[in-house]
Amino acid sequence: MNHAYGEPVDVQSREDGRPTRFVWRGRLYTVLAIVEHWVINREWWQQPEDEPRLPELVFWRVEASAGQGMVIGVYELRREMATNTWTLRRATD
Amino acid sequence: MHPFVHLHVASSYSMRYGTASPSALAAAAEERGMPALALTDRDGLYGAYKHAHACAAAGLKPVLGADLRVAPVDGLGMRDSRITVLAVGKTGWASLCRLVSANAAQDMRAPIAAGPGLVVLLGPDSDVGQAVAARRADLAAAALYRWHDVAEVVVEITDNRGSGDTARARRMLALARETRTAAVLTNAVRYLDPADSPVAQVLDAARRNMPLGAPGLPPHNGRAHLAGTAEMAAVATAIAGEADAAVLLRDTLELAQRCYLDPAADLGIGTRHLPHMSGDLRASCEQGLRGYRGDLPRARERLGHELAIIMATSLAPYFLTVADVTRRIRSNGIRCSIRGSGAGSLVNHLLGISVIDPLAHGLLMERFLSSTRETMPDIDLDVESARRIEAYRIILSAFGEASCATVVMMETYRARSAIRDVGAAFGLPPGEIGAIAKAFPHIRAAHIGSALTELPELRDSRLSMPQLTAMFRIAERLDGLPRHAAMHPCGVLLSDATLLDRTPVTRSADDLPLSQIDKDDAETAGVIKLDVLGVRMQSAIAHALTQIPGRIDLDSIPLDDEPTFELIRSARTIGCFQIESPGQRELVTRVAPRNLADLIAEISLFRPGPVNSDMITPFVQVRRGEQEASYPHEDLREALAETGGVVIFHEQVLRIIDTMTGCGLAEADRVRRRIDESARWFAEQAAARGYDEAVVDRVWQVLIAFGAFGFCKAHAAAFAIPVYQSAWLKRHHPAAFYAGVLAHDPGMYPKRVILQDARLAGVRVLGPDVNASATSWIRTACVSRPALRVPVSEIRGITDAEAARIVDGQPYRSVRDFWERARVARPVAERLALVGAFDSLHERSCPRPTRRDLVARIGVLDRPVQRQALTLDLDLDGDGFGFDELVPAGELRDLDPAERVGAELDILGFDISQHVLGFYDDLLRDLGVVRSASLRDCPPGSTVLVAGVKVAMQTPAVRSGQRIVFATLDDAVGLTDLAFFESVQDRCAATLFGSWLLVVRGRVRKAAPGAATVNATDCWDLRELDVIRARDGMAAVLAAMTRDPATGPASRARTAGAQKPALVYPTGFAHSRFAETGAPGAPLKSPPREQWTLSQPGRLAGLRGIGTNRCQGDHHGTSPQLR
Repeated sequence: MNHAYGEPVDVQSREDGRPTRFVWRGRLYTVLAIVEHWVINREWWQQPEDEPRLPELVFWRVEASAGQGMVIGVYELRREMATNTWTLRRATD
Repeated sequence: MHPFVHLHVASSYSMRYGTASPSALAAAAEERGMPALALTDRDGLYGAYKHAHACAAAGLKPVLGADLRVAPVDGLGMRDSRITVLAVGKTGWASLCRLVSANAAQDMRAPIAAGPGLVVLLGPDSDVGQAVAARRADLAAAALYRWHDVAEVVVEITDNRGSGDTARARRMLALARETRTAAVLTNAVRYLDPADSPVAQVLDAARRNMPLGAPGLPPHNGRAHLAGTAEMAAVATAIAGEADAAVLLRDTLELAQRCYLDPAADLGIGTRHLPHMSGDLRASCEQGLRGYRGDLPRARERLGHELAIIMATSLAPYFLTVADVTRRIRSNGIRCSIRGSGAGSLVNHLLGISVIDPLAHGLLMERFLSSTRETMPDIDLDVESARRIEAYRIILSAFGEASCATVVMMETYRARSAIRDVGAAFGLPPGEIGAIAKAFPHIRAAHIGSALTELPELRDSRLSMPQLTAMFRIAERLDGLPRHAAMHPCGVLLSDATLLDRTPVTRSADDLPLSQIDKDDAETAGVIKLDVLGVRMQSAIAHALTQIPGRIDLDSIPLDDEPTFELIRSARTIGCFQIESPGQRELVTRVAPRNLADLIAEISLFRPGPVNSDMITPFVQVRRGEQEASYPHEDLREALAETGGVVIFHEQVLRIIDTMTGCGLAEADRVRRRIDESARWFAEQAAARGYDEAVVDRVWQVLIAFGAFGFCKAHAAAFAIPVYQSAWLKRHHPAAFYAGVLAHDPGMYPKRVILQDARLAGVRVLGPDVNASATSWIRTACVSRPALRVPVSEIRGITDAEAARIVDGQPYRSVRDFWERARVARPVAERLALVGAFDSLHERSCPRPTRRDLVARIGVLDRPVQRQALTLDLDLDGDGFGFDELVPAGELRDLDPAERVGAELDILGFDISQHVLGFYDDLLRDLGVVRSASLRDCPPGSTVLVAGVKVAMQTPAVRSGQRIVFATLDDAVGLTDLAFFESVQDRCAATLFGSWLLVVRGRVRKAAPGAATVNATDCWDLRELDVIRARDGMAAVLAAMTRDPATGPASRARTAGAQKPALVYPTGFAHSRFAETGAPGAPLKSPPREQWTLSQPGRLAGLRGIGTNRCQGDHHGTSPQLR
């Protein structure tokens, strides 16, 4: 089932940005594999801002599970580089 | 880990695509520890020599290539694709240049056959890459095999982390493996750092003419940056896994190494490639000596000296080339004169390149060329502007396209153009973008932000809204980025036959060959750059000469004509070359030139430095005998006597240095160029010659203080000749002179100022007449007085073809005769009628048709139905047209004086029948306005009111760094020059910039005997005052002119500590950042149409009401209502 969300999540990532674990709705998920990874600029021109900030939105589509024996789902995580906040955008399980 | 070399890199010379300069890229690559860097700009090699230079400076090996557009292959049905081509060695570089030339010639389709020494990279944008993206591995392989047949190809793997990019990269790598094609990794670089990607994004939007976020634009991220080695290794691993990634990186490095170029051996840098000229320089100079009119023994000695220098620098072909060019241009009847330090060379004089005898003016060869000079000298030629292209074609046909091309010039983004492109990208409405852009002066894009906060005329506008802030901020980042490659307005490259192996050549808009070398690269590339400048004054002089009966050889007139110098001294120099500006007219009355030498000094002194420091006063005082000349040391008397002890010329600096140190003039010129580093050397050398410390110190102070302000005397001497010639013409053949100046508009003032000056000199101005006008300004006579005839070409909207037809078909018997034979567009015919061009056809008609009648008749003539009736009609007379509808003469009210002038301003751009200001005579009299001619009688410091038409405005650099706005008003009697200092700009800026007719209050500043200027304290729009007067009377006008400073529109408080935004040079000269860097005053050449035609409520009946609509006005003189 494919759901779209948009909820903030806490993500732990490696030095190169690759997420390793994340907490969503109280559960800790471990990232098992990277399915896809891409980057796009947000619509920086829509938001007048005092200080120019990094415009990138970094996406990771990952396979993850909440623990051994738990179902492996595909989750799309988005990181907004300007604010360094993560959002869970989609989940398929 | 293998070091990584970027092989696919776009710099800012990929116009409106790349964002970083070659030097910035090279510096960044060096910082990231890379051994080499490629430059592969899109569709051109404009940055190649700069890249080679930057890599050398950064210790990197250069690689050169190009990213070229390729036509879709028939049958595959894909859109245009792109390939990257790299050059291997000297052969590859020549092949690359020729490939880029061919690609441009065929409308950017790369021929399938690439030359020897080239490697083709097929990346995501290639037809192979597009097929891979579409998951058509079969098509991709087929395309790849086709490429293998025509060139050495390599698959280019790129992953910029867009959606799907990594998967596509993997498929490309698989394809490479399957087809046994080598593969390399690149990053398709467009910017230095991820944070720069918004600039690239905006450029894409601007280039594609779409707003940001439009669906047709590709998505952006920050990944196409100059990534470091570690990051590229990670990219490779993510695509290929560790083992294969290592192979990919190794192969990338190996290809890079194959493509390393040696600047000297492969690019020819450091060697000169001059045209081969037959002929012997010495013999040609000996020939020239036969006509020499000066001191022959001295000339021989000097010739020997100069020839030794030329031989030592191997530059004989250079001089022979330039002499050849000059001779060919002149033999076609085109005026051609030298500009610059080259006038200091006797060889140039003997070869006929320069009319100036350097020995007569104490000019030095070493200032132009010496054995110590490392770069090639610069000879510039001035030719008639109207025949400049012709001059280029003459040079081209003489040297051939394998050896000659024009220099390219990059138009770069400045404030206005950046705002236009970024505004469009942000989706602002076009009208608003235009208004915002025009609100800014001609400043650099980088200064947009400061201009918004500091310029009074911008601060009070609505431009600080947050929505616009992001736009302005990005616009600033476009500063200096090339937008467009244009033909440099003056530069020509001359080379041996290998030019096309060193630069691509495309065709300019005028179908001239356009190189991709700019003026700075010419030296690197080892070719001659000759500047052939089109100078409007030369065209004006040429035209003037055609208006003088009998032939005058202007280049042979005596250079000591007293009446000419008298004209110059009295500042009656409107229209003259270089000396017509307010500042020049003021200076010329102070310096009071009596001969050519004085004129040379005057030209040298008229620059911000000397004007605002104290150089002019002592110079003038010594000349007038009010003061004794003083010299820092008696030994320097010989060098400084001509200027009364004041150091004005570079040549004097050379002589001083040589006298004090004995180093010779060649070394002295080198020292002059590095004066800041030479203090100790100078002190030591001078001491060794026996000068005591106090003297050495004093002389050094003079040399240093002089630093920014000196001028090359040879340059001034070359300039002085056309200055003198234009003044001579004005004095002795004024009508012809004015005709020339009006025809070619060389100066800073609008034509109406020139016409007014002509009238004041006793030359009549006759309006356009279809039977008497020519296609250009001509001198004619009226009641045995000299007169000027306005040409038909001055009619707004007329085409050259129409003007030519009118003149060819003269004389005309009637309006109908004109309409049938001249065949001009109806609006043009109507305008001719409104300015009276048909009046002479009806002088004996009774009743005489008014101009409005004539416009109505034209309307009737234009009707298609009537044309049939016309062919049947045999009545070819002026009246009695034989039309069904007869428009009786005199029924339509004629134009009143205000309407006439309005029509003249609208249609011709100048007022003929009456001076525009004449309509306000009553108001100006009641206000007590002082006319310009009477200002000189006002005591300095007194407060006056002046008024006039704004004809010039400048914001030149001034020493103190303050921004002063200079304006010139024409009040029918003459010109008044005004200065608006920063303290008054707040309250005056809006009116000063926005109005065309002004009343100004200020204090008279006595600058020199006879030329007074006014320091403005307040200004008003004259039309508005006139409206108030008509409505409420003079009392209301005076009330309106009394201002309460506290209620002024802008805050007047300037915090005492506010820093002035000045640029400070090492010599202490401070230059306001907003001093206009463009040509001054240009926008005022035409009267702003909307400001005049609506300015006379109650008098102007709306000229739109003329024609087929009858005017509704009252015929008895009361004012019709403005529509």
